[in-house]
Amino acid sequence: MIKTDVVIIGGGATGCGIARDLALRGVHHYLVEKGDFANGATGACHGLLHSGARYAVTDPEAARECIGENAILRRIARKCVETTGGLFVRLPGDSKRYRDTFLTNCEDAGISTEVLSASRALDLVPELNPSIEEAVVVPDCSIDPFRLCMLNAFTSRHKGCGILTHHKVIDIVRERGRCTGVKVLDRFTSQIKEIRAKIIINATGAWGDTLARMGGSDAPMTLSKGSLIISNHRLTNMVINRLRPPSDGDIIVPNEAVCLAGTTSIPVDDPDAIEVDSREVDLVATQAEQMLPRFGTTRLIRAYTGVRPLLKAEASDSRSISRGFRIIDHNNGMFSILGGKLSTYRLMAEKTVDAVIKELGIKARCKTADIPLDGQDELSGYPLSKRLKGIDNIVCECELVDRAQVENAINSLGIQYIGDIQHRTRLGMGPCQGGFCTYRALGIMQETGRLTPEESIEILKEFLQRRFRGIRPALWGDQLREEQLVESIYLGILNMGQQA
Amino acid sequence: MTTFEHCVRCTLCVENCPVFKVNPAFPGPKQAGPDAQRFRLDGERSVDDWVRLCSQCQRCQVACPYGVNVSEIILKAQLKYSHEHMSPFAAHLFANTYHLGKLGSLAAPITNAVTSSAATRKIMGVLGLATNLPMPKYRFFSLNRGRRRKGRRRASRKVVFFHGCYLGFNRPDIGRGIRDLLAGLGCRVVIPGQTCCGLPALGNGDLEIAKRFARKNARMLVEYIDRGYRVVYACTSCGLTLVHDYPEVLELPEGRKIAENTYNVHELILDLLENDAPDVEFGEVDRTAAYHIPCHLKALGIGYPAAGIFEKIPGLKIAILDDNCCGLAGSYGFKKKNQQTAEKLGTISAFAIKTLEPDALISDCGACRMQLGHYTGLPVLDPSEVIIASLEKGASKESRGKRRIP
Amino acid sequence: MSAYEYDAVVIGGGVSGIMASLTLASEGFKTALVSRGDPVCCLSTGCIDVFSHSDKPLGGIRALLPDHPYSLVGEKGIVDALCFFLEIMNEAGLPYEGDPGRNRKILTPIGSVKNTCLVPQSMAHADMPPGEYFHVISFQGIKDFFPSYLTSRHRNSTYSVYDAGVPTTLGIAARFDDATFLDAFITWLRGLEIPHDRVALPAVLGTIDPASAMEKISRAVGRKVFEIPTLPPSVPGLRLFRALKRVMQNRGIHLYWGKEVTSVERQGHTIEAVTLATTGRAKRVQGRAFVLATGSFVSGGLFAGRDSVRETVFDLPVAVPGERKDWFNTDFFSAGHSIERAGVRVDRSFRPAGAKIDNLFACGSILAECEIMSFQCGHGLAVATGVAAAKSCAQGLS
Repeated sequence: MIKTDVVIIGGGATGCGIARDLALRGVHHYLVEKGDFANGATGACHGLLHSGARYAVTDPEAARECIGENAILRRIARKCVETTGGLFVRLPGDSKRYRDTFLTNCEDAGISTEVLSASRALDLVPELNPSIEEAVVVPDCSIDPFRLCMLNAFTSRHKGCGILTHHKVIDIVRERGRCTGVKVLDRFTSQIKEIRAKIIINATGAWGDTLARMGGSDAPMTLSKGSLIISNHRLTNMVINRLRPPSDGDIIVPNEAVCLAGTTSIPVDDPDAIEVDSREVDLVATQAEQMLPRFGTTRLIRAYTGVRPLLKAEASDSRSISRGFRIIDHNNGMFSILGGKLSTYRLMAEKTVDAVIKELGIKARCKTADIPLDGQDELSGYPLSKRLKGIDNIVCECELVDRAQVENAINSLGIQYIGDIQHRTRLGMGPCQGGFCTYRALGIMQETGRLTPEESIEILKEFLQRRFRGIRPALWGDQLREEQLVESIYLGILNMGQQA
Repeated sequence: MTTFEHCVRCTLCVENCPVFKVNPAFPGPKQAGPDAQRFRLDGERSVDDWVRLCSQCQRCQVACPYGVNVSEIILKAQLKYSHEHMSPFAAHLFANTYHLGKLGSLAAPITNAVTSSAATRKIMGVLGLATNLPMPKYRFFSLNRGRRRKGRRRASRKVVFFHGCYLGFNRPDIGRGIRDLLAGLGCRVVIPGQTCCGLPALGNGDLEIAKRFARKNARMLVEYIDRGYRVVYACTSCGLTLVHDYPEVLELPEGRKIAENTYNVHELILDLLENDAPDVEFGEVDRTAAYHIPCHLKALGIGYPAAGIFEKIPGLKIAILDDNCCGLAGSYGFKKKNQQTAEKLGTISAFAIKTLEPDALISDCGACRMQLGHYTGLPVLDPSEVIIASLEKGASKESRGKRRIP
Repeated sequence: MSAYEYDAVVIGGGVSGIMASLTLASEGFKTALVSRGDPVCCLSTGCIDVFSHSDKPLGGIRALLPDHPYSLVGEKGIVDALCFFLEIMNEAGLPYEGDPGRNRKILTPIGSVKNTCLVPQSMAHADMPPGEYFHVISFQGIKDFFPSYLTSRHRNSTYSVYDAGVPTTLGIAARFDDATFLDAFITWLRGLEIPHDRVALPAVLGTIDPASAMEKISRAVGRKVFEIPTLPPSVPGLRLFRALKRVMQNRGIHLYWGKEVTSVERQGHTIEAVTLATTGRAKRVQGRAFVLATGSFVSGGLFAGRDSVRETVFDLPVAVPGERKDWFNTDFFSAGHSIERAGVRVDRSFRPAGAKIDNLFACGSILAECEIMSFQCGHGLAVATGVAAAKSCAQGLS
């Protein structure tokens, strides 16, 4: 049995942010996550570090929060944030009144704006729809949510706390009505571990209500899925937004060597049973095409979806529910942190930890805004073209991941699943979606003894299935060709379809 | 330039890349082209100096069935790199192949003695030039020093012969042969003042010099095209430059017009044989020859027209060899850093040729002839030399008064 | 006849197009082959899969639905076509082995066993009785070949690693073309104590003539030697293609490579010519008959838009299985995603159904109902339909 002061359930941005904050305030803790970091909404979002402009008209409070955090994260998470800047583009027919309110509210919230003529905007982003009326520059950025989680957790580990990914909470231990610990199942060894703690923090996002109920309480939420599509390459080096009331498909974010376009908003009940619908893909592509015409014809390499955990409200349009967050003290030793967005994770964590340490009777100031994240030095940075310098021993040719990076990832943090290498190195995230490099990476793993050959083949099969799920809704054109080629390799040359 | 979007990472381009096959430092056309291109879209200063290992043979682009302009993507990356960094001495030297030719030709006997001396070889090594291949010899009586017009003035077929630096300064005899051949088949042939096509400059990262040469040539060529002349080339690299690079890479306004009116000399000869000189006799040429296809002839996509003419020559046995790059790739193999690559590729090509035991080697490209002549030790011929030999034999059988073939 | 006038013009330089061209040329027709790039057989194992899901391929074929293109060829036609292929490969200097009546085994890089029908000689000895083990030779730094996959699946098999000085399949194959290198390799191999009767290596035994390298090694160490086909870049795939190309060139077939067909000239029920997007000035290739062998999606013969599929050269009607959401099953490994059945339907003469063109024929994976992945019949189908369609075309030309 493990004893600690705090157990955090959930390894998304919020959970990892809380872990770091606790670590810096000297509170011992364990974090448990059923998958790898960023398993939920964090790993399935837009990768956008908001300037807040998107909420300036509909939710000025949120906007203010965003711009504050935007500045902080640029400072402390340099290698996770690409300072791309963003444009809000107004197309013919978009409301001028909205635009005026937008500019006023941005100013009120402290979000810097600059109005550009269409031709200036086209100079900055040549792929823009040439018929835009104007564009407004805002300090939007692109952020790597996985890296963010990983680096936050790093501090925690560094301070001797426990980070247990691939450990699923199967029960919350209760004594006399109080939550005193969790029972977790180690996915790989099937071992059950018990961790006792004074406080349990439920930072499970879309699963918030499920976990709260395990603790004898509840946390009413509205769940809505949002799907995004990934383009083959960067059609823009700046974030592109639509200057109109927030709606579906009106954001395009450059992220690493691709663009992420989305999103949709469809109510769902079960966060574990979500798939991308091919109609969602068409919807997003059509919207994105209005801002960047090439999005209509460009190659799409994949689609993905995540569930938004929103505070329950009466409004029927889940988009208009505030994305503000709420901390619930269930008065039974468990706290839940619900709602929020990636961009304000640090603030959410700060407020949560403030509440928790008060309960623990500790006085300590939050330092997460002041100290840069640890472990950033070894990471590859921006601009992307710098990565073309010395290319040697490349494992994933699409994304320029070399053998050293793969071996590093394998050797650190107890990696046992190929998906974990992907998050850390971007192996297989490019146009062929791991068609070639996964086989290669698994080969390396079994050669270095981390896996038996049989295990690596099983994982290869699992991986190919998972990969296929993400690609299937967007299979046409070049990506369909790609798929036939990958089939001919795995089902043809390697003959994995039959007895393998 | 967004054709890289179509790449499905099949590696067909890689399978055809001669440099990848022998030089582990070059990661292959897929990596250098469509893979790397996704990382080049931020407009920052280039750091990928290894792209200069690509010899621009263009086999990758010919092999790609999806329309990815592999070699062109790499070329643009090479140009960007060279533009942002200092080029080595050898690159500057070869960008000015034309001026070297002019100078070399002017002082021919001295030039040839100097370039073959041991002392010069040493200096060349220091300057970054390869020392294993003999330098080509220059001729004082360059092509522009001889007769610049031939054939009947009233001929309905008028051609401008774009001969290129090699035929111009090194093998003017072949150039004169082609001039006379075309005239004999009924054309009015003119050889106006012209300069380098610009490819050596392009291949050595100097877009400005390439454009300068190209603009000069374009002005001259368009003048003749507007007067009803066709442009004809024998050197397949010059030809590719005229029909592809002038409009697409150098973006000359006249580029399209030039491309549409430029012919490979053997394409033209086939046309002449069919329409203007159908009763020409091909005499017997009892030879077994290997026909090495230059990479840039493949890239032109017009098939192998000279082979179509060889089919008409009795007694001539031809084996077509189009799987290997000779390795010289213009000035590429003359640079020290590529010396090993060029040697390996030359050896591989030579081996494939020698296995067939031919008594001669034919190739349209002067660089291929230099390289493969060196590595096989076989006599090397331009296709026109074989055609002329056959026609001369055929003519000697005919009675006087009929068509005069020189 | 003009230089660019042909009896037959074949569009698509893959196995089916090449076999069609060779058939037509052997019947004395002036033939051209047009291809916009290299074919996907260059990426393959180099073997001819006829029907891999049973021990006797022809038996499996008989049980197929009448819609499958094999039934248009007929059993005798398939066997004749495969024999023709074997003759061609002999002529090319890259001899193949096999019997259309029974399948044989090759090994895959992950150690699984695969059924195929015709194999290059250098893979003949992979057909081992069960329980026989082998020694694997791998090469230093080779990227996509992991000998431990093979030795773990075949428990008593062992492996050694040789440093060829280059880490790529192509580079190593080029080294094996060099007699000095081969001798040094053999010397090293002799120095090993090989416990088993057979020696396996990734398919790198030279770029042109693997059989003679294999013979030499085999004689020197007294063991049977066989190659294992690798992931692309695939040397045996490349060898197959280049050998076929050599034969085509020797037989006087004109090849137009690297440019796509951009327009078609049609006069009533007859195709007169196709135009190629050659640099500068388009090239017009005229023919009395045309054979379409442009392949499936991966080869570019078919193109899938968001909701429709088109045939990319003549815009022929294409049979499509349902809407995009129906094209693929959710299981990647399932036999038969329905999109595999998409393609051009042909009548018994191999003319596209419903197109009303007298002088156009189609063969290969562009045909509807092929289901190549499901039945593992790619090259076999290409050979059989290529020859059959060409014979039908030849009849039309006479």
